Amino acid sequence: MRNSSLLALLRSDRVAFVAAIWLMLVVGIALVGPEVVGKAATGLDLRARNAPPFDFSRGWVHWLGSDALGRGILARIFLAARTTLGIAVASVLLSMVIGGTLGIIAGLSRGSLGKVIMRGTDVIMSFPSLLMALIVLYVLGGAPANLVVVLAITRLPVYVRTARAEVLEIRERAFINAARVMGAGQVHLALRHIAPLVLPTLFIIGSLDFAYVMLAESALSFLGMGVQPPSITWGLMVAEGRSYLNSAWWLSFWPGLFIMLTALSANLLASWFRIAGDPTLRAAQGNTGHA
Amino acid sequence: MSLRWRLLMAAAAALPAAAPAWAQDTPTDVVIVLETQPDQLDPCQASKSQVGKVIKQNVIETLTEIDPESGQVNPRLATEWSQVDDLTWRFKLRDDVTFHDGTPFNAEAVKYSIERTMDESIDCEIRVKYFGGLTLEVTPAGEHEIEVKTSEPTPILPTLMGTVVAMSTATPMGEITREPIGTGPYRLEEWTPGQQIVLTRVDDYWGDQPEVTKATYIWRSESTVRAAMVAAGEADIAPNIAVQDATNPEMDFSFLNSETSRLRIDAEIPPLDDRRVRLALNYATDRDGMKGTIFSDKVIPSTQHVVPGINGHNPDLTPYAYDPEKAMELLAEAKADGVPVDAEIILVGRHNLYPNSQESLQALEAMYEAVGFNITLKMTEAAEWYDLLFKPYAEDRAPNLFQEQHDNNNGDAVFTIFVKYHSEGGQSTFADAEVDDLIDRGGQASGEERTKLYQEAFKRIHEEIVPDVSLFHMVGFTRVNPRLEFTPSIATNSELQLSEIGFNNS
Amino acid sequence: MNRFVLKHGTQSLFALLCLLVLVFFLARLTGDPTDLYLPMDASIEQRAEFAASHGFDDPVVVQFGRYLAGVMRFDFGDSLFQGRPAIDAVLAAFPVTLKLAGVTMALSLVLAIVIGSLAAWRPRSIFDRVASMLTIASASAPDFWVAIVAILVFAVSLGWLPTSGMGSPAHWIMPVGVLMFRPLGLLTQVVRAAMIGALAAPYVKTARAKGAGKSRIIFVHGLRNAMLTVITVAGDQAATLINGAVVVETVFGWPGIGNLMIQAIQQRDFAVLQACILMTAFAIFFMNVLIDIAYSRLDPRVRTS
Repeated sequence: MRNSSLLALLRSDRVAFVAAIWLMLVVGIALVGPEVVGKAATGLDLRARNAPPFDFSRGWVHWLGSDALGRGILARIFLAARTTLGIAVASVLLSMVIGGTLGIIAGLSRGSLGKVIMRGTDVIMSFPSLLMALIVLYVLGGAPANLVVVLAITRLPVYVRTARAEVLEIRERAFINAARVMGAGQVHLALRHIAPLVLPTLFIIGSLDFAYVMLAESALSFLGMGVQPPSITWGLMVAEGRSYLNSAWWLSFWPGLFIMLTALSANLLASWFRIAGDPTLRAAQGNTGHA
Repeated sequence: MSLRWRLLMAAAAALPAAAPAWAQDTPTDVVIVLETQPDQLDPCQASKSQVGKVIKQNVIETLTEIDPESGQVNPRLATEWSQVDDLTWRFKLRDDVTFHDGTPFNAEAVKYSIERTMDESIDCEIRVKYFGGLTLEVTPAGEHEIEVKTSEPTPILPTLMGTVVAMSTATPMGEITREPIGTGPYRLEEWTPGQQIVLTRVDDYWGDQPEVTKATYIWRSESTVRAAMVAAGEADIAPNIAVQDATNPEMDFSFLNSETSRLRIDAEIPPLDDRRVRLALNYATDRDGMKGTIFSDKVIPSTQHVVPGINGHNPDLTPYAYDPEKAMELLAEAKADGVPVDAEIILVGRHNLYPNSQESLQALEAMYEAVGFNITLKMTEAAEWYDLLFKPYAEDRAPNLFQEQHDNNNGDAVFTIFVKYHSEGGQSTFADAEVDDLIDRGGQASGEERTKLYQEAFKRIHEEIVPDVSLFHMVGFTRVNPRLEFTPSIATNSELQLSEIGFNNS
Repeated sequence: MNRFVLKHGTQSLFALLCLLVLVFFLARLTGDPTDLYLPMDASIEQRAEFAASHGFDDPVVVQFGRYLAGVMRFDFGDSLFQGRPAIDAVLAAFPVTLKLAGVTMALSLVLAIVIGSLAAWRPRSIFDRVASMLTIASASAPDFWVAIVAILVFAVSLGWLPTSGMGSPAHWIMPVGVLMFRPLGLLTQVVRAAMIGALAAPYVKTARAKGAGKSRIIFVHGLRNAMLTVITVAGDQAATLINGAVVVETVFGWPGIGNLMIQAIQQRDFAVLQACILMTAFAIFFMNVLIDIAYSRLDPRVRTS
């Protein structure tokens, strides 16, 4: 599919368009935000402690209120964007690539390799991922890179299982059999015929996982073992702000809103992409749309 | 959205006047919501605050009782005591007391209680905490009198007896019990681990009969939730809520909780081995800025690691004033002498050590960086924190500041000063012969001399050695349902005597 | 079918052993509980003595051997902090979580199928869009945050519900509601996606063209095919539910296994942690067996492979 037609398609769907703009905005913030706000995000001003939002007499970084140390919430959000998105994107991609590959292998393999993979995912799945992450982070410490690896590992099974389930269904289809009869190798089969069909589903899961990972990271902060200050993520901001919910709701509300909107946008865009990227579905949509 | 939100929150902060639909109390029952559940209720763990809050002086009682305000030792199960010689003491016991299981409280029972407490086959907190290295030999001297012989001179034995609890001889020796049988005004009625503990009043208590007939203990980890429960009428007392949840002056009481916070300075590692650098840290600390913001406006800037009222506390010391210029001067001076003041210093913190602990460290980090220190904050959870608290310290450790809080509500500075400041103490970070000598002599002395020696030690530590950034004597907040007549005090941190609770007639 | 379960069982036993080894060694890498258990004033000698008397100073392999030997005799060790057998603590906590998770899963599954199917019937309709938005948005909020806000609003401000604890049915509303958010959002999306796929299949189209009823098409043709994916994801969510349960149980003060596990990890109460793992792992394996059986029922091809 050509880029220009994709863009046109995107603009025709208002919701997806808005979602795309939000994501671009957030990515933009992640790229330049920390430099833009600079010292405002880390400096201390106890007089402005928990200053309420929409007080425009202060600098713009305080427009969404100030946190418990008097730092502008907006400045903190800008600073946190890079770590937050970095962790989420990296761990989703990592688990999607590894999990998807293993899942396709497991689906195609009729030997012991597939079994080993599935038992491996059973091991991971039979223990709640949050607790596993907690134990591992106790050992490794809450550095962002460790979080990426831990979150990626704990999310592997869902990709493996989904990919495998899809492959089991796809591999019986006529054209796969045809390709097989025509002598296509396993690798060729996996890459050319199966992966493209599995990918959309993985994208759906991945987009939902994007939200999941941000939330898991925030839950780890709630339990005290996520990213550690002075590093900051939106999830950590929500976790830190929760003790002020009764007196200063803005501390956890705004970062929570950023998590929600970003997750929502990723999901909307992914499901739009699923439809846009799949001609048969698009046709189906077209038909039902007029039915 | 945001306006509605704000309204909702405002409504949430204001207390509902409507009758609480979920309050299940009959008028003389109380529900107490704690932070964490006690893992055990064994009498010999009563010195742990989460255990003590439930059973200490309610189910089980101590021989003597220490007034935490003054440090004075009062009678409880022991009526009077006297010193026979350096090593030997006699305690007279009450003769009108029986245990909840009907067995009499007498010299034999006390002997059994002390022996069980000192038994090394169970990890009894009272023994480890207060009797390290000391052995006691108890001999009955009549039905209601005992003689205690200590392995070394112990002038504060009556104080130590304020930690020893009496338990029935039916309590198994050598294993942890889940059924504490004591002499207190309440008995353990029900314990559903993870869910609740219920105490009920006994009819034949030796002292005055308390008003509360039944107490139910539950636990919720979030301070917001605990405060909400009292506000909603589901609970009556929530000890220890965060300062930002203590928003209602009619329900929320603040009290000095006998905890003192500080940053321990690792005075053995450059650049912190230079006194000027340690002083600079103190001058760079804006205690007044943190008071009333991150910390409650009731906290008291501290000069030493024990609260006023503890024997040995020196009232003449003054906190270091906030003077960033002076801090910078001292640093420049040190730098000129070749002290590596730019070295990275690790600020070790612990999650939830006290409410807003993480924020206070971020604030301190900012203050120190403002005068030119190179600080890196490192948050730890309990296990790692403990590991760093105790000797032996790692040989190749980086220079560090260590966030710490210590409570001493046992009347005497000895429980603090040796461990924290003596060169052989398990948590000290410097060695000073003069301080060691003062502490050693203080430990052997009694009366006014003991007080004077400890005060001198604290003076030298605060003014000459400067091994810490002393922060605050902390306050706790307890939310109490207005239907109760109860004023939390300094003791509420480690015990919660139900007999002190009354009811308002309304 | 018995042989199927048996085969699965032996494989699972092996996986369980792997998990146990993993956790046993990982947990011990995080340090031993001596410092947490003893008071701050304990001396170095007291610490060493404590570690020795509980065997923490032995090599980890020796400790593991000792533990396995115990497990063979159904002795799962004693909880250091609670002073009672670890298995007692776990058995007391497990039913609480099981009930909480069961009710939550059942409710979310039903709701997800209804909402997801209706959304898939006319993709991109108003209903589809609103339902998608709401379910995704609900799954995008941090659960501990939602829980505390819910308490402040519904219990404190409005006084409709109790703040926390268990007991009356009213106590269940908030915990189940909060716990449902995540699986509901995901399951609805998955049901919808799978249904769109299923409804686009030629034979369903044929049925549709023939004028078969809406409910018949959805529930007979569409759902049957969509169920494969839905069950996969629902199965995965079971373990994930325990994650949510950790948070929900902590906030609402429920004495469940999530609460117990987090406490065991924080306290380094190894015996309890291991007993928890064995218990949850066993429960999840058991559920996976059920899922596999359901799979083979729904899709004969799996059985032959």
